[in-house]
Amino acid sequence: MEAVVVDAGTKLLKAGFAVPDQPPSMVIPTQMKQVPEDESSTDASLLENVIVDPVVRGFIRDWDAMEDLLSHVLYTGLGWEIGNEGQILFTDPLATPKAVREQLVQMMFEKFNISGFFASEQAVLSLYAVGRISGCTVDIGHGKMDIASVIEGAVQHISSRRFEIGGLDLTNLFAQELRKSNPLVNFSISDVEKLKERYASCAEDDAAYQKIQQACPEEQHTLPDGQVIKIGRERYTVGEALFQPSILGLELHGIVEQLVRCISTVSSENHRQLLENTVLCGGSASMTGFEDRFQKEASLSSSAIRPCLVKPPEYMPDNLSKYSAWVGGAILAKVVFPQNQHVTKADYDETGPSIVHRKCF
Amino acid sequence: MYGGDEVSAIVVDLGSHTCKAGYAGEDAPKAVFPSVVGSIDQMEIDDADNSDKNSGSGPESKSKGKRKLYVGSQDLGFRRDHMEVLSPTKDGIVVDWDMVENIWDHALRKCLLVDPKEHPMLLAEPCSNTQQQREKTAEIMFEKYQVPALFLAKNAVLTSFASGRATSLVVDCGGGSTTVAPVHDGYVLQKAVATSPIGGEFLTDCLLRSLEHKGLSIKPRYAFKRKEIRPGEFQIVDLDFPNTTESYKLYCQRVIVGDIKECVCRAPDTPYDETSYSNIPMTPYELPDGQTIEIGADRFKIPDVLFNPSLVQTIPGMESFVETASSARGLPQMVIESINKCDVDIRRELFSSILLAGGTASMQQLKERLEKDLLEESPQAARVKVLASGNATERRFSVWIGGSILASLGSFQQMWFSKSEYEEHGASYIQRKCP
Repeated sequence: MEAVVVDAGTKLLKAGFAVPDQPPSMVIPTQMKQVPEDESSTDASLLENVIVDPVVRGFIRDWDAMEDLLSHVLYTGLGWEIGNEGQILFTDPLATPKAVREQLVQMMFEKFNISGFFASEQAVLSLYAVGRISGCTVDIGHGKMDIASVIEGAVQHISSRRFEIGGLDLTNLFAQELRKSNPLVNFSISDVEKLKERYASCAEDDAAYQKIQQACPEEQHTLPDGQVIKIGRERYTVGEALFQPSILGLELHGIVEQLVRCISTVSSENHRQLLENTVLCGGSASMTGFEDRFQKEASLSSSAIRPCLVKPPEYMPDNLSKYSAWVGGAILAKVVFPQNQHVTKADYDETGPSIVHRKCF
Repeated sequence: MYGGDEVSAIVVDLGSHTCKAGYAGEDAPKAVFPSVVGSIDQMEIDDADNSDKNSGSGPESKSKGKRKLYVGSQDLGFRRDHMEVLSPTKDGIVVDWDMVENIWDHALRKCLLVDPKEHPMLLAEPCSNTQQQREKTAEIMFEKYQVPALFLAKNAVLTSFASGRATSLVVDCGGGSTTVAPVHDGYVLQKAVATSPIGGEFLTDCLLRSLEHKGLSIKPRYAFKRKEIRPGEFQIVDLDFPNTTESYKLYCQRVIVGDIKECVCRAPDTPYDETSYSNIPMTPYELPDGQTIEIGADRFKIPDVLFNPSLVQTIPGMESFVETASSARGLPQMVIESINKCDVDIRRELFSSILLAGGTASMQQLKERLEKDLLEESPQAARVKVLASGNATERRFSVWIGGSILASLGSFQQMWFSKSEYEEHGASYIQRKCP
C-alpha cells in the first residue's frame, strides 16, 4: 500500500496516496464545525455551531479537533482500515517548535497506531516538486508567509523568515474595503473568501497601481443570496498589500525586498544558486498577475541579487503552486519509506517522541 | 538538582554584534539577529497617538520617557522616524537590562517560538563578567521567565569544548572586541585574560571612513529607489527622509560596509606598508544601489589593524580613535603576553592548541598570518599551532556550538542551577554552581 502524504494548512488540508505527478486526491477545508453531542437539548436556539480551527497560522493548535479531522481523512476519505494502518508523511511549516512535532508523532503512533512516520519541511518539499534541491521558496499561505532558503536539502534557518500575514489577512482587508464601497450590503467572511479567489489581482507595477486608485472599471457581482455588489479598485488593493504591507497597517517591506534581504545574509558564494531557483508556492501566490509583478519588482534589485523564478516541469499538474508541498512530499515518500529511513513503531516504542528530531530533518 | 528529561535545553549567546539562539543538540543556531535595538522615545512624538500606547503609566514615565523598542533584523530593517539604534552593552558590561530582556523575548518567543518555562537555559557570558551581572541575569531568568534551570558558561570554555579540547588558548575575534583567554581543564585562567577594543565593528568603521574619504558615498538601503523609466533602463531616485536619526543611518551603512569587508578583505601575509601595496589590482564590488566601487590597498590595510593597531593613525577620519588604538596591542602580542602570564608547565600545551573563533576570525588568511607572526615571536622550543574550523559558519558560531554540545551531554545534566536551588539559596549561589 502506498504511503499517505498529508499537508495540513491553515485553510485547506491536502491528503492523498503518494503518487507524485498527480494532485492530492483529497483537498478539504481544515475548518470544522463543532456539533454538540447532546442532541436531546430542547431549546433549538442554543444549538449553535461553533467554528473550530485546528490549524492556526500554520501550526496545529487544537489536537482533539486535529485527531477527528485526521480520522475522517484517513479512515473515511482514503480508506484505511483499523488494524492495518500504513505509513504517513507530514509537512511542517518553517520554525515549527520541537514540542509541536513531538506531539504530532505521539498522536500518530498512539492514537492511530501507524506503522511508519516521516516529517519534512514544506520549503524543502516545494523545491523537490520542481526538481531542485537548492533554492529559495516564497510560500504564501492562508495563515502565514514563509521565505526560506534551502541549500542541498537543508533549510538555512539563519536566512529564513516567517511572517504572520497570509490569505486570511487579505480576506479581512478585502471585506473591509468592500464594506466601505458597498455599505448597504451584508456579506459573510466565506462569501468574501470566494470573491477574493475570483477577483483579486495584482497591478503591473507601482505606477499602474497609483493609476488604478484614481480610476478603475467596476464589475457587478451577484452574491448567492441575491444581493448585488460592485467590485472596482478593491481587487487591486488586495494584491498590492503583499508588495506594500503598509496597506495592511504593518511596518514591513514588500515581499521581494524581504526576499533580497534574507538572501543577503547568506555568504555570497551561494547567492547565485539560491536566487536562480526561486519558487513561488501557496494558495495566495496563484493570484492573477502576482508572478508577473514579482518578476518585475525582482528586476529592480541590483544584478548581484536578482531573484529568478523557476518553471515547474511539464509532467507536473497545473496549479502546482497550490499543492507543491504535497507533491514534494509524495516524491520524498517514494524515497524515504522503501529505504527504511522513516520512524518505525519499534523506534518510537524504544526512544519516545524525541526520535523525530533525530530521524526527520 | 535538575535531572534533564527529554525536553531539550535552549542555548543563547548574546554577543556584542549578533545574538545567537537555538536548541541544544543542533549544529547551528536557529535565530541569529543583531544585538542592537531600535528605540523610539515616545516623548519626542506628539501626544496625539500616544494616549493609548502610554496607558496606565502617566506621571512617573516623564523622567525616562516611555519608549518603544524594536528588536530583530526585520524590525530594524524598516526605517522609522526618530528611531535611534542603541546597544545594551558597553565594553562588555550590560548597561540597560530592559533592552536585554527585549532581546531575549524576541529570541525565545518570536524566533524560536518556545515557552521558557519548559526549557532549561544555557547562557554564554564574557570572560570578564562581574558577580553582580551574573546575579542579575539569574534573577531575571528565574523571576521573569520562570526557567526550570539555568547555567552560565564562559565564552572561552564553550569554544574550547566545541573543538573537543579541555585546555587551549582561545582567541575570540568578535564584533565589539577581541579577547584572548587561556582555558585549562575547562576553567578560564582569569589573570591571564587579555582584551582589546579592536573588533569587527572597529574594522568596519575604519573601512567606512576610508571609503568616505575617497569620495565614495555609501547610500543606505532606504535612501534610494530604482525606477524603470524605459524597458531595460533603470534610474536611481534618491529618497529623502529628514527624520531619520544619525545612528540609524550609520547602522545601515555599517551593514553594507560589513558585507564589503567580508567579501573582499584579506589578511596580508606580511605587515602592511604603503609602498609595497600601492600597485595591487583593484577588486570591484557592487553596492545595493547599483554603483560599482573599486577597492585596492584597503583590502589588506584594514585587516592589518588587528596585528598593528597603530596603523589606525594613517586612516583618514579615524583620528578620534587613535587614543584607544595606541593603548591596544596587536593580536600576536596579546597571545604571547597571555601565555606568559600562565604557569610555565602549561605554556607548551597552550602554544600547540590556539583556537580561533568569532566572526572576524573567518577572514581569509588570518590563521596563516597569525601562525607566521607567532612563530617569529614565540620561544624556540615551543611548537606553535593555530587551529580554526574550516567552515566559516562554524567559526562564527563556535561559542554557540560549544554550548549546544555541553547542554546535550549526559554528564552535564546534574550541573544545572535549578529553580529550587535558586529559591533556597538565592542568586549569589550562582557563583558556586557556575564557576
